[in-house]
Amino acid sequence: MFRKTKILIRIWLAAVVVIGALALNGSHAFAAVVTVELCAVPGTATLTGAFSVPIWGFGIPTTANDCSTATASLPGPLIAVNEGDVVTLTVHNALPAGHSLRLEAPGIAFNPGLPDAASGATVSLSFTAGAPGTYLYESGGDAGRQEAMGLYGALVVNSATVGQAYDNVSTAYDVSSVLVLSQVDPVFNNMADPNSFNMNNYLATYWLVNGKAYPDSAASSISAAAGQRILLRYLNAGYDNTSMMLLGMHQRVLARDGYLRGNPFMANSETIPAGGTEDAIAIMPATAAPSANGFPLYNRNLHVTNGSVAALTYAAPGGMALFIHAPAPDQNIVSAPGSFHIFVPLLTNR
Amino acid sequence: MIKRNRWLGLALAIMLCVAALNPGPANALPAGFPKTGMVCTPGTSSGGTHTFNLVANTGYIQTPDGNSVLMWSYANGDAPDSGAFQSPGPVLCATQGETVTVNLTNNLTGPQAEAVSVIFPGQDSQVTASGGAPGLFTNEAATGSGTVSYSFVASQPGTYIYQSGTDVSKEVEMGLYGALIVRPAAGANLAYDASTQFDPGREYMLLLAEIDPALHHAVEVGAPYDFNTLRNRYFTINGRSFPDTIQDNGTGLLPTQPYGAMVRIQPNSPTNTNPALIRMLNVGADNHPFHPHGNHTRQIAQDGRPIKVTGSDASTEHFGETIGAGQTEDFLIRWDTQATDSAGLPFNDNWDPNSNPLPVPQPLYANLTFKDGNTWYSGSPYLGYKGTLPTGANSQNICGEWYFPFHSHALNEFANYNEGFGGMGTLLRVDPAGGCFTFPAASAIVGGVLKSGSVTALAVNDTNYYQINPKTTTLTAARTNAQTTLAVSSAAGFPAAGSYFVRVDNEVMQVTGGQGTTTWTVTRAQLGTAAAAHASAAVVSALANDWYASFSSVKAGAANLRVTYRGMNCTGTTGAACAALTTNLPQMTLKVCNWTISGAAGCATATSNGWVTLPAPPAQPQSIGSVEPAPSTWTLPGSAAAYIGTGANQGQVRVLVHTQRWTAANPATFSTWANFLSIAYDLP
Repeated sequence: MFRKTKILIRIWLAAVVVIGALALNGSHAFAAVVTVELCAVPGTATLTGAFSVPIWGFGIPTTANDCSTATASLPGPLIAVNEGDVVTLTVHNALPAGHSLRLEAPGIAFNPGLPDAASGATVSLSFTAGAPGTYLYESGGDAGRQEAMGLYGALVVNSATVGQAYDNVSTAYDVSSVLVLSQVDPVFNNMADPNSFNMNNYLATYWLVNGKAYPDSAASSISAAAGQRILLRYLNAGYDNTSMMLLGMHQRVLARDGYLRGNPFMANSETIPAGGTEDAIAIMPATAAPSANGFPLYNRNLHVTNGSVAALTYAAPGGMALFIHAPAPDQNIVSAPGSFHIFVPLLTNR
Repeated sequence: MIKRNRWLGLALAIMLCVAALNPGPANALPAGFPKTGMVCTPGTSSGGTHTFNLVANTGYIQTPDGNSVLMWSYANGDAPDSGAFQSPGPVLCATQGETVTVNLTNNLTGPQAEAVSVIFPGQDSQVTASGGAPGLFTNEAATGSGTVSYSFVASQPGTYIYQSGTDVSKEVEMGLYGALIVRPAAGANLAYDASTQFDPGREYMLLLAEIDPALHHAVEVGAPYDFNTLRNRYFTINGRSFPDTIQDNGTGLLPTQPYGAMVRIQPNSPTNTNPALIRMLNVGADNHPFHPHGNHTRQIAQDGRPIKVTGSDASTEHFGETIGAGQTEDFLIRWDTQATDSAGLPFNDNWDPNSNPLPVPQPLYANLTFKDGNTWYSGSPYLGYKGTLPTGANSQNICGEWYFPFHSHALNEFANYNEGFGGMGTLLRVDPAGGCFTFPAASAIVGGVLKSGSVTALAVNDTNYYQINPKTTTLTAARTNAQTTLAVSSAAGFPAAGSYFVRVDNEVMQVTGGQGTTTWTVTRAQLGTAAAAHASAAVVSALANDWYASFSSVKAGAANLRVTYRGMNCTGTTGAACAALTTNLPQMTLKVCNWTISGAAGCATATSNGWVTLPAPPAQPQSIGSVEPAPSTWTLPGSAAAYIGTGANQGQVRVLVHTQRWTAANPATFSTWANFLSIAYDLP
């Protein structure tokens, strides 16, 4: 499984290079009409090694309107659009009967429309991506339990100026990374019906970056050359405020919840509130990292373990940790200014 | 494992219990450390490299409810500690530009002892590790005295954490953390740049952490450790929980927890404009919303970087600020004011019961009740003054200083295993400007007689005076110009011992024997006067006024005693107004009682041997006439112990004012008009 992930990443990197090259002209040519179709479906997520849990997640149907062709992912597919795009987000609810989905994306102003879809129904909301930034999308159904089951993902609105996170030159970057932070209590996820779980007993034991716990979270590790500006887009899809410590460099926190800060500040350990997003830029040092793994970026609330003693799965280190490292000698790194990630097959009409 | 005593309010008795069990002093502090404030571990500095030797080891801390908890921590490997356990780790202080080398030895013991390391969040220059074995985050030292050496250039000033980078879910929770302070090359009295100057005598560290004793117990006995089951019960500042946090640095009550956390400030004044600096570090796993009472704190930096926007100050004031896990924040705090100085600038909280009283009446003391009968309140709302408290109330107040809680506003953390107040709390103590001050509680005339006024006139620098005339008596038999004994009608009010001068008509004589009796042995024709015959019933006047004031309730441990006096001398012994006295001015000398010389007897009379002349500056004696000078202040540096009475005179300080006038050819009598007398001292 681990090897397979690695291969996928390589493929993805190659795709980014191509797309990045297309965008090198300095700004996105013009606003597009973008349609994103997702299914909310039960599935399985491998958190680390061979450990997997049932999830409810978003997936992209390979055949339109047929959720049997969608596979749930944790987190949901990254939706990346450009500033000014007119976006329609369509979600089919393929969850078990009785679980109504509510489509939410805090900070995104949807055009008028009902956000709910009963099981088997579809919700479709549109918006104009007026403000660049980092946003969560999620299901608010079942009083938040659906989000804990895995129905969340990142929605990035790229700045009209290529190579900037926002419409301000201070947000220029060379390398970007989307880091969706969350956690899983396998006991909860294994319930036949999440509504039958007493959330007072919720005890997360897996702490995830982009759906993976360390060592598998290393799939999200970031490769950057000395002096490159690394844009870290944090999205906290979990229940806890989460402090992320970056060792060996400060991170300049420049935006929160999709709003550029008037007072950016330098931080080592930055707390991203539950449900919030933050954007920060760190600059890759020219000097060697403290270990061969690179510069650690890890959960400073000390959630760097996997599993539980009770389930005989406890292991440390684990959890919410990844590294920022120099490119391997043979690695074709992403360094073009303005590279932006779209690894969701988007249906675009330009 | 958990022995819980019911904690009764501010039960100092519990701490005394602890003292009985652990009489040994903490040794983890350098010689001459201050009682409050941050204490740096010196390390060794040579050739631009500052070296610290740390030893990871195992030990116990005490909690205020009587529990003891196993901790892992870093100790100072250098003398005098030589690796003796302490929690938290030593405060490592370096100067910007120095190469900092930290040599780590792993002496962890117990069933779960494991490799250990140090990481330095916030150090953006390269941290080089040598020795040990590569680990996830950095090189690690193996159990059984394995070593690693870390080295980096302290490139940017600031407040930083150091902590374990190995198995952090266990090792950081177990206590492997400490503070690293990098002082700017531009000056140790700056936190960062010139805009962050602080009073070096008021630099504080508040290092926040939490403890789940169940997890520590698991490590102690080798039971499974599951960080996800973390349920913190103890919440610490500098490794202690309230009320232990307000104990002094290095108290013997807490031999493994050397760092106190009480913050002390004084009101700012035109001559004391720099704020105190509070360096806050959260080494725990939880964010802590920290809440200062009394005044806002100004956040000037986070994670070792000044809060600026494009180079301009963007610091912010807070009465509640969350210190995130792994984060540091620096704050300046001042005590400013409802009042202004002559330039219109705020400088002092100068509500004064006499000159600037509060515009509202105080609550009647009899209507006050205090939990468990204990209070920090002085009984007076005025800074530096004490007032009346209800019978039975036990005040912890020394001299009218103010106390405010500084605490986590996650109020479950303001407790010791659910017993509050406790945990992550300390006190902000606002001392009176210039230290404790007090006014005479009583006075005694030991050479002279009362003209008018009372001791209360001495408390305020105003137009009310405590006035003393020289003592007079009469001859009971005529004298020739050569006889050397005088018979007087009374010796009361004249010195009972020692030599002193008297005047009869225009002749000055020195009394050398028979003091205290009515037959004196004298030496004739003193101070330039001529011997003459004197009739019976001639008036005999003392040529000096001597009186002393007693100050009460001065706490043992006071230091740097300061005496301030203002008064004048006037011609004649009658009259409500001060008659001019502008030539041949009386000579005034202030003395303080040194109780260690002859006890109370040493300060019983004007000439007893226990009186010590207050040392210059200003020089003594002073020439004082009817032009009243500005107040003069004399300082007795160091401990004031010798000047504070014990036993029956517990807490008493005595100041003698001796005024003499005998230089004139025809000395005229004068009266001494005392305006203002106070003492001040640094709080224990």
